[in-house]
Amino acid sequence: MDSKVEGTEAQKFVWEGAIPIQIHLHDSEVTTLPNPPPALILAPRLGYLPLLVRQIKPFFSSSLPPGVDTVWFEYKGLPLKWYIPTGVLFDLLCAEAERPWNLTVHFRGYPGKILTPCEGEDSVKWSFINALKEAACIITGNCKNIMNMSQSDQTDLWRSVLNGDMDAYLRVSSKLKLCTIGDDHSMKFNTTLKSRQSTIDTDVTAPARTGRIPVRLYIRSINEDIDDLEDAPTIDSWDKISYINRPFEIQGEGECFTLYDAVKTLLPELFADKHLLADDVSKGEMEDGQLSEEVSCSRTSEEAGVTSTDYVGSPSDTAEIKLLRIQGIEPKMEIPFGWVVNNLTNPEHYLHICVYIKAVEPITI
Amino acid sequence: MASETRKVVVHLRATGDAPILKQAKFKISGTDKFVKVIDFLRRQLHRETLFVYVNSAFSPNPDELVKDLYNNFGIDGKLVVNYACSMAWG
Repeated sequence: MDSKVEGTEAQKFVWEGAIPIQIHLHDSEVTTLPNPPPALILAPRLGYLPLLVRQIKPFFSSSLPPGVDTVWFEYKGLPLKWYIPTGVLFDLLCAEAERPWNLTVHFRGYPGKILTPCEGEDSVKWSFINALKEAACIITGNCKNIMNMSQSDQTDLWRSVLNGDMDAYLRVSSKLKLCTIGDDHSMKFNTTLKSRQSTIDTDVTAPARTGRIPVRLYIRSINEDIDDLEDAPTIDSWDKISYINRPFEIQGEGECFTLYDAVKTLLPELFADKHLLADDVSKGEMEDGQLSEEVSCSRTSEEAGVTSTDYVGSPSDTAEIKLLRIQGIEPKMEIPFGWVVNNLTNPEHYLHICVYIKAVEPITI
Repeated sequence: MASETRKVVVHLRATGDAPILKQAKFKISGTDKFVKVIDFLRRQLHRETLFVYVNSAFSPNPDELVKDLYNNFGIDGKLVVNYACSMAWG
């Protein structure tokens, strides 16, 4: 049996995707004249900023003041969260794609109140493996398949992400059996939820089970009416971004959902019919007995401010999606969601979706 | 009623030789980040180094919202958080 797993063409594009970045050393840390020139680097979309330090440090090391390195990156004053994949940061923070993307690097003065600690590559690896375990828990109910990985498989998996090596990645990750979508873009339900099956995949589809897909949503609210994306105000605080970790859950067998259907299920608040007066509760999204926040269509602007998803700029009945980006693409909403999951997911099996919404702030009277 | 933030019940469970807390169940606002649970444990146990997991499975990112973790991984009305003094599940 051929053990090589071929990536799709779209997956190849995604794995080869990179952001050209121009990295400047922060002025306060320049101790030499002339200023060191910025470092130009192609950062893999699927990678993480701290992983670039090894390459860029030589550009700046002779300029740095004495001390211990605590590296962090910043874009227009916003310290960047290091555990968010580089491509996602770019898609989210650069409304209008900036090439090269101008970032500032700091080697001192870590903003501990804004950023969680990062001790280089080990921290990124820890974060990645745990995100992968979390995804496994969402997909299969537990992360035994990750915990039972051989040491060499774990090393190979991480190295494939470090090196942007899709073939190496697919070789290892295919053993994890975390695929939820079949070739026809419909859900393939995981029957191994409770028991450990043999590694030979029986591929039996159970009748009408739920399948869950790990999704991370990053929502940016643009309050003004802007014609051009490049006029979008700069994000100066992470408070302006709503982050939601919410799996896409589908019931029923073999259904083909579009991206539009998926987003509507994930963010029902944005699709509330403005003429609806009663509660418009999300369906099938959260199981019984779990804490589900009220998802109701707001009638008045006062109610709008307290819906469950903590948007800045309340999702009143005038909230609309201005832009939706995945892996730097703005996919057509009619695309089968299964295709999106199969091709645009990150290596830790999370689908990262950036959404720009236009919402109107309630007027204070 | 809509303005009150829902609370999530968190059940803290010791793993390995980690000290057991007298009071193991707490309520925390759903809109708080997981880091609040981690910091709480650090203060209660007087330890800086702690490994904190959900459902004995994975260590959530400290920036994750408690309500998302509860919605995704809560069992029987609570979020089970395990803590250890050394790495329990590598």
